[in-house]
Amino acid sequence: MAGNRLRRRNPPTVNQISAYLLHHLQSLVFSLGKIYQAPATTVMTVAVIGITLSLPGGFYLFLKNIDAISGDFRSSTQISLYLDLKTSEKQARALERDISGMDHVAATRFISREQALEDFRRDSGFGKSIDTLSSNPLPHTIVVEPGEIDTFAVRNLLNRLQAMPEVEIAKLDTEWLERLYTIIEIAKRSVAIITILFAFAVLLIIGNTIRLDIQNRYQEIIVTKLIGATDAFIRRPFLYGGIWYGLLGGILSWLIVEIGYLAISGPLERLNLLYKSDMNLITFSFQDFIVLIASSTLLGLAGSWIAVARHLNQIEPT
Amino acid sequence: MIEFHNVTKRYESGFEALKNVSLKLGDGQMAFITGHSGAGKSTLLKIIALIEKPTRGQALLNRINLNNLPRQRVPHLRRNIGIIFQDHQLLFDRPVFDNVALPLHIQGYRPQEIAKRTRAALDKVGLLSKEKSMPITLSGGEQQRVGIARAVVHKPMLLLADEPTGNLDPVLSREIMQIFVDFNQVGVTVLVASHDLRLIEELDKPRMTLNRGQLILNDLDDSDDEEHHGWQ
Repeated sequence: MAGNRLRRRNPPTVNQISAYLLHHLQSLVFSLGKIYQAPATTVMTVAVIGITLSLPGGFYLFLKNIDAISGDFRSSTQISLYLDLKTSEKQARALERDISGMDHVAATRFISREQALEDFRRDSGFGKSIDTLSSNPLPHTIVVEPGEIDTFAVRNLLNRLQAMPEVEIAKLDTEWLERLYTIIEIAKRSVAIITILFAFAVLLIIGNTIRLDIQNRYQEIIVTKLIGATDAFIRRPFLYGGIWYGLLGGILSWLIVEIGYLAISGPLERLNLLYKSDMNLITFSFQDFIVLIASSTLLGLAGSWIAVARHLNQIEPT
Repeated sequence: MIEFHNVTKRYESGFEALKNVSLKLGDGQMAFITGHSGAGKSTLLKIIALIEKPTRGQALLNRINLNNLPRQRVPHLRRNIGIIFQDHQLLFDRPVFDNVALPLHIQGYRPQEIAKRTRAALDKVGLLSKEKSMPITLSGGEQQRVGIARAVVHKPMLLLADEPTGNLDPVLSREIMQIFVDFNQVGVTVLVASHDLRLIEELDKPRMTLNRGQLILNDLDDSDDEEHHGWQ
């Protein structure tokens, strides 16, 4: 018999690298074909992944919007100077001019005692009771908008303003902002925890789907092992299957969140009108989209890898 | 090609499928293993096909020791063997062509090369016209022939067949056996496990008989006699 060595031979006429790439391509197409052949299973798996990922995705967008809105607040930090009641309007206006020339001051606004009382009468609903007052209890007020957002600079400015003899009280309106930021920070961490948990859930979902897939193709795995398929060869279509699940699930979750935000945008515009505000809903940026899709695809690969590592080696011909 | 030195196989259940079996099958030879069911025929083939490992003794496949072969070498060694199963082990989710092409596919042949060789193998077993059929639509004999085509498509050096005619009528069985003889004539080493004694006698090929795991008859000349007495 000619050539009777048991060879670890390379097939003739084929370059190993191109054969390797060819099989990758075939596995990719083959796994896609499998998905196409079993649409019910695929749709369900992809739907579960999509819905699962849309939750952290939605929360993320929500936070992104809150961040943007609170950013507007941050830039509108202001200091209210309540002047001594003995200060005349003329002195007060002179003081306003002085302050507006100071460093770190972006803008100033003067509210006279009379105007303040008028505003209060109108807005508070206590008009009648105010009329019973013999004198105006409200001081002249100067509202100062700092030119910098840096907390230290603002505090510094506040101290200087407070030190002026005409200023009775200098008040910085940031306490509520700090509370808001703390709440946002808590929300951010909660979202991080939710994201980790849900990513883990996706890992399990994909792992389980691939596990079932492996079980369904038990016979095929046995036969291919018997005719000399390497572990890598057998593993490949399953890994690509996981990648497809992750990719499709990621795209679905993106769609879900986008549609959800479209649904909210109507009422939000009305809210905008009512508050005469200018809030714009932020949706996923292109970068967010890429991160979402890439991480769900990676989760798909990781999930299928775990399933394959756990179950494929256990299948041996007997 | 195949050498067994005092091979014993004991399964975890404690059952001894092979007891002290020694044999030698040279390159290009063809032989039959006979014996009642449970005599150890399948176990012997499984050791050669790297499905089972001997508990004691040594099994060699072309001087490669199969006892402690690393796992990652198994696939490449198996590519030199064509295995034919009694239940043909075809994949029913794909047509005949894809079934036969599988070994070539695994070994990374080019598509054109795969088509050429697959058709040649199908032609050899007389099923070229059925390449697009699904295996389920074929008769038992045809399915077995598809199994043979798959086993030989990559031109293995060794053909192992485990009861290849087990479910077939005498005429079909004879046809199948003739295919093995034809392959043997072009140089392939063939080892067939069968209990179809009448058919084996017709073919006039060396015969090894197993009884309860022991080799009680060996027509092959070059087996080691002194190691053989163990069974008595």
